[in-house]
Amino acid sequence: MIFDAHAHWISGTQPGGVDNLEYWLSTWELQGITHGLVMPLQALYDDACIRRENDEIAAACARSRGRMIPFCTVNPAQGEQALAEFSRCLNELGCRGLKLHPWLQGISLASRGVDELSELAGESGAPVLVHDGTPCFSLPSQAALLARRHPKTNFILGHCGLFEHWREAIDAMRHAENLWGCLCAPHLAALREIVARADIDRLLWGSDYGFGGADHIAYRRELFDALDLDADRREAIFARNPSRLFRLA
Amino acid sequence: MIEIIDGYCTLGTERETQIAPAELLRRMDRAGIGRAVVAPDDREIAVNNVRGNDRILEECRRAGGRFIPACTVNPWYGPAGCEELRRAAAAGARMLVLAPALQGYCLGDELMDDLLLLAGDLRMPVYVHTGPHSASSPAQLALVAARHPRTSFILGHCGSTDYAYDMPPVIKAGMQNLYFEASLARPWAVGAYGKLAPKQALIFGSSAPRNDAGFELEFLRRYLPPAEYPDVYGGNLARLLKEPHS
Repeated sequence: MIFDAHAHWISGTQPGGVDNLEYWLSTWELQGITHGLVMPLQALYDDACIRRENDEIAAACARSRGRMIPFCTVNPAQGEQALAEFSRCLNELGCRGLKLHPWLQGISLASRGVDELSELAGESGAPVLVHDGTPCFSLPSQAALLARRHPKTNFILGHCGLFEHWREAIDAMRHAENLWGCLCAPHLAALREIVARADIDRLLWGSDYGFGGADHIAYRRELFDALDLDADRREAIFARNPSRLFRLA
Repeated sequence: MIEIIDGYCTLGTERETQIAPAELLRRMDRAGIGRAVVAPDDREIAVNNVRGNDRILEECRRAGGRFIPACTVNPWYGPAGCEELRRAAAAGARMLVLAPALQGYCLGDELMDDLLLLAGDLRMPVYVHTGPHSASSPAQLALVAARHPRTSFILGHCGSTDYAYDMPPVIKAGMQNLYFEASLARPWAVGAYGKLAPKQALIFGSSAPRNDAGFELEFLRRYLPPAEYPDVYGGNLARLLKEPHS
């Protein structure tokens, strides 16, 4: 198994448009990806797209023969409406987790709306993947404090701190045992340090595919390969950890 | 065969940029890179400017012309910093490196002005590290470049990652004294910038050893084919630095 823990579904940007599930799966197959989680993108920019994109993702994943794991998004600023949509996604659409992008969505991780959603996620066993690496709303340290406030919920740093905050990401994961890190975007030297210093059993790998083309996968796969990890650590990051976190069969 | 010049490498002595000159040369050979701009490491950029500049200049002297020396000055040193820039330039430094997030100010602070005016007088391009923090972004550098039209600026990393959103308007502003260096930017993003920017404004850089230069070069070529963008891989930087280029 090679699990891509960071991919976005973008309506209308793939050849054939949003309904072309086979394009996605064939792209993954060409790039050696067997499974992955699929998150919204347009809905992060535009609240009006939230419900539609959650529906589309759930429908596509349902037809993916178990290969695509649906994540939804809501805007925490919408309060009760956000909670209701998250409940609908979990209970009716079969979504397995929540994606939040604090700076795009204009919401602090310290806000009440995020706390309420985090509680619901924890009760449902659904991880929360947070964009990180970007001030002022998306720092790993902010995610660590959020994770400590909600010890029953698993959180994922979507980018392990990007280029400037990867040291902070390592520290954040040490600070909160329910905080995981997705190796998606730090440079090679940072990836080496993260793998060496962070808990290997809480690391995932991701491509950000969907945010761009298939080269996102190739680039980040080859970057990961350049780490030259032993078979056990590769297995942990590509398969064992996502299987445990996302409760894959 | 066009000579490839890497626009930014760190010849560091500690942490993630620890690399010996011989090893950097070996990696350049493997990637087919002829020359590389080499800069002091983070501690030297932040506080030990003189030591870093001397070290880099010395390593460049030993490298048989394959390293092009960059120097650094922290603007907080004020007049002493300007004096250090004059000294480093006289000793052979070809580029000034500023890293506001490391050096402790926001890009655009008037603290920088004397140094930037002097860099213009010395005809020394100023490489500015940009990043997802708010100490140094593409838009901030655009304002600085407008304020200092006689100084040439290289926008390091193209605001990667999250300030990539600001790159199209910055490029479209069409500033003649602003160049765009590709290291740490996603290759597909640089490909998009290639369609927006004048071809003479883009510069290949790897940020080795943070990145593997050969790996980055291979991917960038897919988006900016050398046949179509030959000067991105050396010619643009050579012209800016007034270096010969074959």
